[in-house]
Amino acid sequence: MILLRRRTGGEAPGPAPNSRAEERGHDASVGETVAQVVTGGFGSVPIALLVFILVIMAVTAVPAILFSGTGFFGTYFSPGNYYLAPTVHHGIAAPHAAAYGFLPEMLGTLVTSALALGLAVPIAVGAVLVLTEWVPRWAQGSVGLLLELLAGVPSVVFGLWGVLTFGPFMLSTVSPALTGIVGGFPWLFPWLPQGMAWALLGVAIAAFVVIRASVHGHQRRGLLRKSAIVVFISLWGAAAPWFTGEVNTAGGVLTASLVLALMVVPIIAATTRELVRRVPVLAKEGSLALGMTRHETARVVTLPYISTGVLATSLLGWGRAIGETIAMFFIIGNIFTGIPVNIYHSGATLSSLIAGTLDGVLQAKTDVSALFAAGLFLLVISLLSNFGGRLIIRRVAGDQALPVGRGV
Amino acid sequence: MTIRRPSIFAAALLAGGVALAACGSTPASTNKGQANTTSLTCKTSAVANSGAANAPSGAPAPTSAAPIPTANPTSAVTLHEDGSSLIYPYLLALAPELPTAFSNITLSPASGGSGKGQTDAIAGNVQMGGSDAFLSSSQFSSNPGLMNIPIAVSAQAVNYNVPGLVLPSGQTGLHLSGCILANMYMGKITNWNDSSIAALNPGAKLPNLPIVPIHRVDASGDTFIFTSFLTDTNSAWASGPSFGTLVSWPTASQISANGNPAMVQACSANPGCVAYIGVSVEAQASSAGLGEALLQNQSGNFVLPTGTNMASSVSAGASRIPADLAVSLIYQKGADSYPIVNFEYLVVKKTQPSADIATAIKDFFSWALSSSGGATPANLGTVGFIALPSNALPGVDAEVDSITG
Repeated sequence: MILLRRRTGGEAPGPAPNSRAEERGHDASVGETVAQVVTGGFGSVPIALLVFILVIMAVTAVPAILFSGTGFFGTYFSPGNYYLAPTVHHGIAAPHAAAYGFLPEMLGTLVTSALALGLAVPIAVGAVLVLTEWVPRWAQGSVGLLLELLAGVPSVVFGLWGVLTFGPFMLSTVSPALTGIVGGFPWLFPWLPQGMAWALLGVAIAAFVVIRASVHGHQRRGLLRKSAIVVFISLWGAAAPWFTGEVNTAGGVLTASLVLALMVVPIIAATTRELVRRVPVLAKEGSLALGMTRHETARVVTLPYISTGVLATSLLGWGRAIGETIAMFFIIGNIFTGIPVNIYHSGATLSSLIAGTLDGVLQAKTDVSALFAAGLFLLVISLLSNFGGRLIIRRVAGDQALPVGRGV
Repeated sequence: MTIRRPSIFAAALLAGGVALAACGSTPASTNKGQANTTSLTCKTSAVANSGAANAPSGAPAPTSAAPIPTANPTSAVTLHEDGSSLIYPYLLALAPELPTAFSNITLSPASGGSGKGQTDAIAGNVQMGGSDAFLSSSQFSSNPGLMNIPIAVSAQAVNYNVPGLVLPSGQTGLHLSGCILANMYMGKITNWNDSSIAALNPGAKLPNLPIVPIHRVDASGDTFIFTSFLTDTNSAWASGPSFGTLVSWPTASQISANGNPAMVQACSANPGCVAYIGVSVEAQASSAGLGEALLQNQSGNFVLPTGTNMASSVSAGASRIPADLAVSLIYQKGADSYPIVNFEYLVVKKTQPSADIATAIKDFFSWALSSSGGATPANLGTVGFIALPSNALPGVDAEVDSITG
């Protein structure tokens, strides 16, 4: 309210607002009060709603939390069997052999959204750069419109397309090829377990970079960039075994992640397009005048200018990816009984778990409570990643409040 | 409560003394005996039904053409139904015909799964909840005045998508048994060229292809009747996941689908799949190119869910109808009996919010049960159902009559 008052005072017209208000007398102050109450009331709705939702979810989740304890981090979820005798645990009765382990769903949520974002950001930025720098001006409008129309495709349509068209294509073509490439690489090092070759490659590059840096005394920035690449390859090495092995389903984690990436692309692209438009023409023309090619201009001028903004809009996309439900429910396969053995297998996200089981479990209070707990986990993951993202942006953007880019 | 499934209890007791290894996991024994390869570990017919006192009875007579009451409700009533995706195509066929008999009644069916049908009926969200599964004793006791009223007999097919499978001439589908299916879903049989499958299909060329068992993700009556069959035929399954609209699935079943049509889609998209799909969507399944298995019954014969084979199960299983109409028709005696047959139930509350709604529900049931009303051979035939046996009708009529507004 204090903030509101200050703002309304500041926005009052005229050079001497106080005297004006006094002239208008009683009516003006009543109007002010009404405005304050009304706007204050409306303004507090979102906060009240968030608190309300959190409290209701936490309270409803209590029986499942009591029943499960640390079992939430188990790998097996089952609503139990309603036709057999109830299972009693810690004084709470649940359907027979009910188990509420959400670890596969938590991992599924994080992995699908991370993979989706990892693919969507380069695609979106690349598409926008092509659109603004290379596509002729007369075609830019229509191509840009198509890109924005993609954002208007309902997620259920993405889900249908994913499960009926894209999934079978993945199963027959893409996934076998991918597992062949990733799994085929250790052919060079047959004595290593699958995927370990990638980690070895990362270590080799790291050693090379460190040695070169110590010999030549490279700049610190270049070293940072190279070590980032090394870390990435090492991570990939650790993750690579998860990209090998049997392909057995049209849906699955990878298919879901790819469709999710397509759904996130327009969100990132729309903002990125605005950011690219705001890059000062002078800076671009200057670089061109210095003899840089278009490609170099994009790399040296445009990309650094928009990078912070892209990071911020990625955060929006991340939020969208974590919460996406119907497309995930259609595509990911909804297996709640374990962590998928590889990325081509069926998995689940917290949202697909809730969507898939809610209808059937409404008769069992403890099961419903468990789904509320799943929702709580989803909310916590979403809030934590949002805070984390904001922290990163603040660090990168410095003191700037708005995530707009800094020039070169 | 009365023990509804005597066969399970008797079998479980006896199975305790039988070796618990999976059928087909010992190739030596399966190669020796062609006739009864699954006898070592699977429940044999003699074991399974030793406790069931089924009085023999004749084939079910066609539904008696009881006079249809003409008492139209005084105001327009819409009967909302939600639930089983197996009964949904049938109700969809009935819906446009109902107003010709009762101009004031509209039937509005929906397909949300049997579990949702039960839940919605209990909560009063819908007037009738469709379910392939009868209610559990705890559901009856915690919801006094709740009834499950059968309106037709249905069955469930087991479909598969096995490219490279070549059957001997004259054999229309793969021969499978409940015990083998249970072992597939438990991950004890993982490849279509397994010796236990080969033993049931002499002369068939079985491809080297991993088995992909698909289950329903929603609370499903199809899951209920399928797992009942597995429970009756495999002791490891009976003491493990057992039967229910929701069961704790073994981790071997790595794909799930939401509703019968989605089962068809998932099965056709995943080569190697095996899936249980209600007969009412078998037309979709066959047009999607899925094979339909012939299931082994108690007599050791391999049968399809034809009307005759379903009627055989009904006459064996529904010889005695309990007052609450909860009858299992799974894995019944009889040379022709198809092993996965069930009553299609509508879950209804005894006390309805208004007299008009109560009248409309009574009208609907009497019309839907009459062979000159909704239960015409044409309506039943399009979804592969058959009419209720005549000995079930007195009990059904009594329950319908007890509905008040």
